[in-house]
Amino acid sequence: MHSSRKFHESRWQRTLRALLYGRDVDRTVKAKARLGLAILAFAAIFSVIALRLVMFANVGDGHGGRRSVAQDAVATARPDILDRYGEIIATDIKTPSLFAEPRKIIDVDEAIELLTAVLPDLDAGEVRERLSSKKGFVWLKREITPRQQQEIHHLGVPGVGFLTENKRIYPNGPVISHEIGHVNIDNQGIAGIEKWLDGQGLAALHMAGLATDPLQRPVSLAVDLRVQYALREELIAARDKYKAKASAGIIADVNTGEIVAMVSEPDFDPNNPREANDPNRLNRLTTGVYEMGSTFKALTLAMALDSGRISLQSSFDARLPLRYGKFEIHDYHAQKRVLSVPEIFTYSSNIGTARMALTLGVDYHRAFLKKLGQLDRLRTELPESAEPLVPKHWGELNTVTIAFGHGLSVAPLQAVMGISALVNGGKMIPPTFLKRDRAEADRVAQQVIKPETAEKMRYLMRLNVEKGTATRANVPGYYVGGKTGTSEKVVGGRYSKTKVLTSFTAILPVDKPRYLLLIMLDEPQGLPETHGFSTSGWNAVPVGAQVIERVAPLLNIPPRFDLPKADQMLLVSAKDTR
Amino acid sequence: MRLLNILVIGALILAASFVYKIKFDSTLQAERVAKLRGELRRERNAIAILRADWAKLDTPGRIKGLADRHLALRPIDRTQFDNLDRLPERSPAVAPAPGETTIDVMIRPAIPDATGSVPPAAPR
Repeated sequence: MHSSRKFHESRWQRTLRALLYGRDVDRTVKAKARLGLAILAFAAIFSVIALRLVMFANVGDGHGGRRSVAQDAVATARPDILDRYGEIIATDIKTPSLFAEPRKIIDVDEAIELLTAVLPDLDAGEVRERLSSKKGFVWLKREITPRQQQEIHHLGVPGVGFLTENKRIYPNGPVISHEIGHVNIDNQGIAGIEKWLDGQGLAALHMAGLATDPLQRPVSLAVDLRVQYALREELIAARDKYKAKASAGIIADVNTGEIVAMVSEPDFDPNNPREANDPNRLNRLTTGVYEMGSTFKALTLAMALDSGRISLQSSFDARLPLRYGKFEIHDYHAQKRVLSVPEIFTYSSNIGTARMALTLGVDYHRAFLKKLGQLDRLRTELPESAEPLVPKHWGELNTVTIAFGHGLSVAPLQAVMGISALVNGGKMIPPTFLKRDRAEADRVAQQVIKPETAEKMRYLMRLNVEKGTATRANVPGYYVGGKTGTSEKVVGGRYSKTKVLTSFTAILPVDKPRYLLLIMLDEPQGLPETHGFSTSGWNAVPVGAQVIERVAPLLNIPPRFDLPKADQMLLVSAKDTR
Repeated sequence: MRLLNILVIGALILAASFVYKIKFDSTLQAERVAKLRGELRRERNAIAILRADWAKLDTPGRIKGLADRHLALRPIDRTQFDNLDRLPERSPAVAPAPGETTIDVMIRPAIPDATGSVPPAAPR
């Protein structure tokens, strides 16, 4: 066969072959070798393909599922927010939203007619504008009901569709408002803890489009929902009763700095965030600054006792008003005699506290308030905070007025932090809205006054409830201690006699403090049953007593009936420390 | 050579049918996975809605309203608390006799159906 073909080859072909393959090559042998090589090569390629297939089958799992989830949630999924016992404060549910693809819509007029029939609150003009645009995607209405979705689905309008979105729900409505804040339609935090959450990396996740995981870890707050509810109800009642412009209250754990309840009335419903922009509904406890009045005397007395230069046995002359330049400082409950330190506290003597502060000097006073965090902006988890109004040139007159709580405006939460430190053994603990245990609190705590001073302050607080300005807070069974405060509001650059801010700070129980309660009423009015008085002892104190009676069982404080008088309390504790 | 060809063709047909079967199975499985995922998502959404619903029904305000309307209960008074160490000693009637366990005492028939706050039923 070969030889015959060879025979028929022309000269031309022979030369070509010689050129291509060389002169003395046997092509049959070569062909066989080539075939073998080809088989090997293909076998190798196919085995690589087979291997890759096996690898893809093993690794490329779950691709399809992930994609559909991402398409599902346009608005970010947010973690649930729980109270300290796990009750839900904020959670996400899925709601459908209506969108359109204008390029795919055939008849805009018909689409608008059909859609407005189902969604009457849809603005036809705006929808027409959106549908006539050349965009690929426009929202028509966010967060519609499942029923509306069904109806629109049955209309069969081409070019419209639904996406499921996360919607934030606050089941408790206005009960917790300022603390929790609210979110916008894209489920991004706008205020309060919600905004703080975004700052904790959630916003970054959202930007990356990854915040869709429904299994995010819930956040536990320090707030106790039941206490919060009780406090709010009492404060609303108080606001109505005393016809006050606003009422506010805080219950804080003095040993951990946790805020167990915080209400600033009027408040808003976080489900309806538009209300939150009303300036009358701002959170007076963190974003407002106030002259705290006599409440600040507690700080002055603690400073005096802690200095070691003034003791409980010291006395100060309060016979005559204190003259300072053209100013004259009077006492509200003027005794016109020499007062001892406890008497200065229980009669809430302006003259006495002013003299006390002057004895220690301006620099000492300012340094002490600085140490107690009253001169710097207090930062908590809440993004809203207010800078205290500190006098630029702090002279002796400033020290005189600040000693009894005028001339320095602080956020009430700041005062709560300072007074907590006076009674809990001298540890200043920055307040928190998140759950915190004792060990962690001790880590962040700063010793600001001596424990003995704290003991004396607790005695004074108790004494003030037994025979001072806060006698109406003496709830039998609960060992309450407290300090009242009435400050005249500045109206047109002058202190007003009729517009006052009253407050009451209570320590519960005062011998082993666990909670601090602050009640604040803005411009309460005198009533017939208060004999026309509008000072703290007639309004903030009885409100505080009611709150204590109501929330003490919720806070696990058992009533006790074999309680010592304040004077014995100091003796007992003195014996204990010896 | 021919034998090799036949073998390869046979292997090809076998492999093709095997791959087809695997592909078919995997499609089925993938569909099942997608379906289960969808179901999971639906269930999770339903749980979220139920949880929100429950939280709404569980708000202190609502519970208080219901309690005010339907129950004769009042907020606990401070005089209703007491300490365990002020509990009086057990009366001999309920103290276990030697050789008796507490359970024996509980099921002892002679004790009237009375506690400290519920007076014993008046004799008929």
